[in-house]
Amino acid sequence: MSLQSSFIQIFISHIKREFLINFRSLVDVISIISFMILIVTLFVLGIGPFEEKLALISNAIFWIGLILAIIPSLEKTLQRDYDNGWLDQTITSPTPMELILLSKSLAYWLIVIIPLLISLPLFIVLLNINLKLIPWLLISILVGGLSISLIGIIGSALTLGAKRGNILLPILIIPLIIPILIFGVGISEAVRINESPLGNLFLLIGFTLIYLVISPFISAFLIRIAISR
Amino acid sequence: MLYLQDVTINRGSKIVFYNWNAKIENSKVTIISGKNGVGKSTLLRAIAGMIPLEKGIVKNYNNEIFKDRIKWGQNLIYIDSKNGLSKDLTVFENLKTWSEMRGWKTSDDDLQKALDNLEMLNHKNLYVSQCSEGLKKRAALSRLYLSFLFDVEFWLLDEPTNELDKKSIILFNKLVQRFLENKGTVLLACHELKLFDFSYELLNLDLLKK
Repeated sequence: MSLQSSFIQIFISHIKREFLINFRSLVDVISIISFMILIVTLFVLGIGPFEEKLALISNAIFWIGLILAIIPSLEKTLQRDYDNGWLDQTITSPTPMELILLSKSLAYWLIVIIPLLISLPLFIVLLNINLKLIPWLLISILVGGLSISLIGIIGSALTLGAKRGNILLPILIIPLIIPILIFGVGISEAVRINESPLGNLFLLIGFTLIYLVISPFISAFLIRIAISR
Repeated sequence: MLYLQDVTINRGSKIVFYNWNAKIENSKVTIISGKNGVGKSTLLRAIAGMIPLEKGIVKNYNNEIFKDRIKWGQNLIYIDSKNGLSKDLTVFENLKTWSEMRGWKTSDDDLQKALDNLEMLNHKNLYVSQCSEGLKKRAALSRLYLSFLFDVEFWLLDEPTNELDKKSIILFNKLVQRFLENKGTVLLACHELKLFDFSYELLNLDLLKK
């Protein structure tokens, strides 16, 4: 005598919950990427009005800003759910932990992408981004952002329940992030010098697919260990 | 009926239970008592499936509960001092998202009835961050009512009455009585035994662990 939801419905309800928590007000929406706006603005002001210098590194600045927008908020949310006992409760869910963490990654990807797309004009102006680059930038943000989200969950799971060493643990995810940064920036660079960005794009997609598979399993394993402490 | 057979549970390097055997009768309340640190929470978390057993098995009648972890998880509700509530959501939203996480299709009416059992209906739109510890506990305990709709047989509760006022304890007792009548089993860790008006079995870990 039980009305059970399907896995997909439960998956979606997890995503809805993250949206409910994060998008309570318009202020919340913008503040998700406030750090990214800060980083990019500081870089641009620091470098000054040297257009060639800016053109060379604006792509990298943008990607680093994106990484710094997604990963800390993922870490905060996972830590919160661990501290308040929500992760404990999910052990009794009919969906495996892997699926729950995948839904968290997807949720945060969407949660960051939306304000990012809204404020993209700001970045285009700040970083003097060439208009022909924009469609490629959009695709690479969508794909790369997902990767960053998946990697961020692993990093966050690593720091869960860690005592004082947690300043070092995020360094462990650097090897995972490097390909994303290289290929993401590579796409923009290719367009800038009028070459085909497809090679870099396919590699970015490839890595994203790999992380799509390994991230839920690795982070679920880490979280189960953290819960058992 | 839960049988714990030759159960060994470690927490880090510390052995909390070693080749331990115990029986927990169904349709009854079993209170786990003992000194701080003796292993009450560890035992509850291990039965809930959060801490792995180093050795040994736990059987519900003839079925090893951890052979089908998902089915076992569906069969229990675990509530401890952390409550599992998101402070950025309201009391009602917390109950709703929790029930969706459990894969249960509940109507708003069901959820309101659940809240009403612990007289939380007036507070259903309060953010958890605005709630006192007592209200938070009642918000968490509201989940227990859903057991009657979804065939849950076990309640694993770690000191559920610590923050509750007298009135809420009476409401809690009523909920437990109804659960027992529905053939539910309650495993409860507690220090203060005089609060309960139902009869219970005592599992005193100070005496039984060595």
